Amino acid sequence: MKYVQYLIDAIALGSLYALVALGIGLVFGVMRIVNLAHGELLMAGGYTLYETNGWPAVLRVLTALAVVIAVALLMERLALRPLRRASPTTTLVMTFAVSFLLRSIAQKRWSAQGKTMNLFTDLNQAFTIGELRIKYLTIAAVVVGGVLLGAVTLFLDRTDLGLQMRATASDERIAQALGVRANHVVVGAFVIAGVLATAALVLFAPQRPVVTPDFGLQIAILALVGVVVGGMDKPSSATLGGFFIGFANSMLFSLLPKGQRVFLDSALYGLVIVVLLVRPSGLFQRETVTSRL
Amino acid sequence: MRRRALVRLIAAVGVVALFAAACGDDDDDATGGEADTSATSATTAASGATDTSATAAASTDPIVIGAAIDLTGNMAPFDGPALAAAQITVDTVNAAGGVLGRQLELRFVDTALDPAETKAAALDLIQGGADVLLTTCDVDFATPAIQEGISAGLLTIAPCIGTDQMGPSRFGEPGRLAFSIGNLAQDEGAVLAEYAIAQGHSSAIVVPDNLLVYFQNVCQAFTARFEELGGEVIAEEGFASFDGSVNNLATAVSQAGEADVIALCTFPPDISIAVGGIRDAGIDTPIFSPWSGDGNFWIPEGLSDFTFSTYASVFGDDPSAEMNGLIAAMEDAGSAPATGGFVTGAAAIEAIVAAIEAAGSTDGAALAAEFESFSGLPTISGNISFSPELHTVFGREYRMMTFQDGVATFGELLAATSPAVIS
Repeated sequence: MKYVQYLIDAIALGSLYALVALGIGLVFGVMRIVNLAHGELLMAGGYTLYETNGWPAVLRVLTALAVVIAVALLMERLALRPLRRASPTTTLVMTFAVSFLLRSIAQKRWSAQGKTMNLFTDLNQAFTIGELRIKYLTIAAVVVGGVLLGAVTLFLDRTDLGLQMRATASDERIAQALGVRANHVVVGAFVIAGVLATAALVLFAPQRPVVTPDFGLQIAILALVGVVVGGMDKPSSATLGGFFIGFANSMLFSLLPKGQRVFLDSALYGLVIVVLLVRPSGLFQRETVTSRL
Repeated sequence: MRRRALVRLIAAVGVVALFAAACGDDDDDATGGEADTSATSATTAASGATDTSATAAASTDPIVIGAAIDLTGNMAPFDGPALAAAQITVDTVNAAGGVLGRQLELRFVDTALDPAETKAAALDLIQGGADVLLTTCDVDFATPAIQEGISAGLLTIAPCIGTDQMGPSRFGEPGRLAFSIGNLAQDEGAVLAEYAIAQGHSSAIVVPDNLLVYFQNVCQAFTARFEELGGEVIAEEGFASFDGSVNNLATAVSQAGEADVIALCTFPPDISIAVGGIRDAGIDTPIFSPWSGDGNFWIPEGLSDFTFSTYASVFGDDPSAEMNGLIAAMEDAGSAPATGGFVTGAAAIEAIVAAIEAAGSTDGAALAAEFESFSGLPTISGNISFSPELHTVFGREYRMMTFQDGVATFGELLAATSPAVIS
């Protein structure tokens, strides 16, 4: 029975990372940008939740959503749009710089000492089935993750803006020649990324209630590895990759002998190396798929 | 091709990040590589410093205490309050006439926890005439400053490092000039175990955070003393902050069996996930934590049966009127402390003053000899002791605090009978 509990724990963690990976994968799919500053969107939302402690929960979430989207749009307009034609290396370094800047601002404003968000803490309660314990948060993460992945997929497949995003991802110059307004498409992608980051934050907050300047970085780094492992080109493969990395991290911890847990990172990244050697295009991506949403 | 290049780039960034992370938490390196190479120069510099400080002792110039500390980085929550408390104590000493007829002057430079800035800050302070050097509260981050301080023959002090690495064990013979006013992990783990036994607990689950040697040492000391006193440690469930493993801790603890107490050695933010997860799993077992569990900024709502040892109660009920006066002074100065660690800054100044008065000079070697001889030196933080082997404080009385329903209250003052012996 304990192995079933391990599975439940692993699904819980995997679901949280899947949501973060979906946001990273979407921006990469549209802009071909690996946004290393995606975690700082979660951080910005986290400090918003801290600052709004005492407000009604729904209002706090909406305020966090507004702040996260605003930060995402500022990031796009001020740092990334001017580099639209630059090489991936340049934009990658730019997002790294933006990440560092935002964390420095947070450190200056709130210090390195953590601040408590206190949001939806009741989701940490669990119900039991026999010896198994399932947190409501796990159910919420699976449901929200599934709904948002479905919504993003539908959006990309069934809406004009989604079609334009796919066209831009496939070939931006041709898409523009056909009348697609690239700026609108990219702004749309960043707004959706902001929504996804806020959703991830709301689900992380009950479990990780203390926000620090590195709050988002710690989450996003692992999610980014998951995106690469899953396959970067499609939101679905990126999401599954995020789930995989969280799932694997949790399972490895549970299965490693107690005295060997210090090697958790080694085991996890060893697994990542093996996966990438065997499936360099991504674990959840067909080898023939190339660069499109 | 473009995509493949991206993947390669990300892989390269990942490798660099992993390497940087590996370098960042290498507290496990008990022997500082640079210390050996600087042994000769440190000895030479120390003897050189004797001449200058002998001259200085006769002067009426201020005695300069230089602080190369972090006021903006991750150690700022520790260094900032310690500096504020140190400044208040310096002012108090000066108002009472100073030391050996000289005033104290506290100068500081913000290192922002950058190694190059840390080294430069220490050099600037030393070249500017510092007689004693203060460093940040993490031995790895402090090392560039410590190396400069001990190489220049200065007494070099960290307010709150908690391992035995601040001294010869890490820095070799020149490390005789290096001390920490923080509580020794072997002492803190011992007092937690003694308190647990005194509370009637006879079985324990020990949960060390493998991120830092300090956490490992505290939990090892808890185990050693707990078992010496007849207790049984039924399981050790290690994890590491920031690698995500804390999310599985509640399941691991619940499957470890039933114990009277859980010794949890970690810090925010992951302590919040650990404690919250354990309580949410329906495990109401009392949790004991070292100083790293101090403060109410991280606690889950309504936290109960959580006990921690600390230097001072910042919850308004410290048993010492002098301590409460210092806390009030810090609040007036706009530096209200979040944990009890601030008082190590004040205690550092008191110990420096005691050493200068006893030695009659500011010579680093003479001051270090006085420090090594301190046995029960009274300070605002309690009586402190060092030895030639242990340059981090042992024997201090801890404030044993307990959270019930989200409110921390002072329980009792308790000193360890002795530091635990760990391998």
